Amino acid sequence: MLFAIDFFTRRLAQGAIIVVAIALLIFTLLRVVPGDPVRLMLGPMVSATVAEETAKELGLRDPIIVQFGRYIGQVLQGDFGRSFVRSAQGGSTGGSRGESTFDASNRAPVIDLIATTLPYSLLLAGLAFLISLAVALPLGIWAGLNAGKWPDRLALYLSSILVSLPNVWLGLVFIFLISAKAGWLPAIGYQNWTYAILPALVLAVELIPVIVRSVSVSVSSNLLEPYVSVGQIRGLTRRRMIIAHVLRNSSIPLLNLLGIQAVGLVLGALFVVEYLFNYPGIGLLMINAVFQRDFPIIQAIAIFSCAALVVVNILVDFASTTIDRRLQY
Amino acid sequence: MSQQAIVQPAPGKPAKHRSLGANIFLQAAGAGEFRIGAVIFVGVILLSIIAPTLLGLSATKFNVGLKFSPPFPVEGWVWPHFFGTDQLGRDLLVRSLIGLRNALMIGIASVIGMFVIGSAIGMVAGYVGGWTNLILMRITDAQMSIPVIILAITILGVTRPTPLTVILVFILAGWPGYARIARSATMSERRKEYVRAAKILGATDLRVLLVHIAPNILPPVAFVAVLDVARMMIFEAILGFIGIGIQPPTPTFGTIIADGTKYLLNAWWITTIPGLLLAVSLCSINLMGGALERSRNKILQGVS
Repeated sequence: MLFAIDFFTRRLAQGAIIVVAIALLIFTLLRVVPGDPVRLMLGPMVSATVAEETAKELGLRDPIIVQFGRYIGQVLQGDFGRSFVRSAQGGSTGGSRGESTFDASNRAPVIDLIATTLPYSLLLAGLAFLISLAVALPLGIWAGLNAGKWPDRLALYLSSILVSLPNVWLGLVFIFLISAKAGWLPAIGYQNWTYAILPALVLAVELIPVIVRSVSVSVSSNLLEPYVSVGQIRGLTRRRMIIAHVLRNSSIPLLNLLGIQAVGLVLGALFVVEYLFNYPGIGLLMINAVFQRDFPIIQAIAIFSCAALVVVNILVDFASTTIDRRLQY
Repeated sequence: MSQQAIVQPAPGKPAKHRSLGANIFLQAAGAGEFRIGAVIFVGVILLSIIAPTLLGLSATKFNVGLKFSPPFPVEGWVWPHFFGTDQLGRDLLVRSLIGLRNALMIGIASVIGMFVIGSAIGMVAGYVGGWTNLILMRITDAQMSIPVIILAITILGVTRPTPLTVILVFILAGWPGYARIARSATMSERRKEYVRAAKILGATDLRVLLVHIAPNILPPVAFVAVLDVARMMIFEAILGFIGIGIQPPTPTFGTIIADGTKYLLNAWWITTIPGLLLAVSLCSINLMGGALERSRNKILQGVS
């Protein structure tokens, strides 16, 4: 118990520093690049003085570090600011409609936008993890138990092929074959959970090779450890040895992998896949925000995804030390 | 296990004759999947060098009379447009081959960049240790917690993307991985006898790092970097698809695929066939890279 408290305080403190550093990096990057968000909010027809006033009002003319300090202060109170272009009623108010439609208090709070899109993304990611684990775990274990034989080769070639399929292309092929030609599954937008299946399949194809490789390597190297033969000499059956000991010991690298690589991979691929399928999740929100230079949304999503990765890492390390007490973090 | 039998040095023959890099490469070259990958890869490269001139086609020339011509086995295809033509009558075979060249160039350049920068920083961190090590490694920690795509779309979405900025973004996103590997390898080499001997003989730190440590730790890392070339090529296609990669009229896989989405139902080949070429090329690279990675693991675990 003491260990757990010590572990979490130490790691959470480190994690918080990392998240703040990332926030500063993204914040600075967004402000040093060319392109004035005020122009996007108000449209090109507004006079320079009005644009300048609005910018001052929104605090966009202060030094970056002052803006950042203010921003972090707000974030700590749970306020991620308001979108530059989206109104609270949905739809975007940016563009050429002039100053009359622009109202600083009518813009959607970023936290609300994220809260409405996040469940969709979680559904998609969860489904992708389920599919990929259902395929990759049996295949990986089978390949690991038969290292060097044909199941191993099969897993090797299969994962080499899957890892080579670019997700944008695969998504379009799925849309064309499964949705447009065969009509088995819907593809574009979101109406019910079946709309998440095709994008989840694309994500799963990206995850499967990573999981298969790690599981098979881990299982096959554990089989070579002395404890396996010792257990069998002492009268445990091979089946029991594998189920109770080899698989348990192989799960540590798998946990590490699922935490660091897989969550990172899914986070990255989510943006592309949601954009591709026009799936109303957090990734589509992010990509649209990039096109509209909606800085508060970009910052908030970058901070959220980075914090998610950090937290997952901490949990994974904690789980690993609980499984194997020899590990030190 | 026949794979191992072929490549392991026969007993009696001095095993240390070749360098570590050569050993890894030769062992990998014996593997079946490496050969398959190499044959496909060389074939695709030759095709991309020869085919555009041989067929006398241009990647950007319009021919509206020939638009939406289907690919080879489909009825109605026109010689010599094996991959068909797109909405402007441009030949898709030549476009995708040029796109492949661009993707390969970007992939290789960015991986070389992240390898050089990452290894240099990692080696310094591992060799000097102390505060330098701590600070550099915390920086890599921080950077590894941003997904590449977020970094890329944040930077490229708000600046004007050129091949150089795309490469720079990939390098920025990719160096921490290499820094970590190089650091841990350097830390374990630092205490070995040959390093101490070199120091006693009066070698400077820079000389020890470049002449003695680098040749021992970098080849294994470099071989695994082959897999990253394929990853970067996929990222390049993704960026092009979103519209923040290299801009038209330069053909890249991303822009070709994005162009084709509008015509997916009528002219399915615009998107699918060039993508298939990309997938095949990536697969060949991945097969080679995977074989190199496995032989590296085998040799490193076997020798040391």
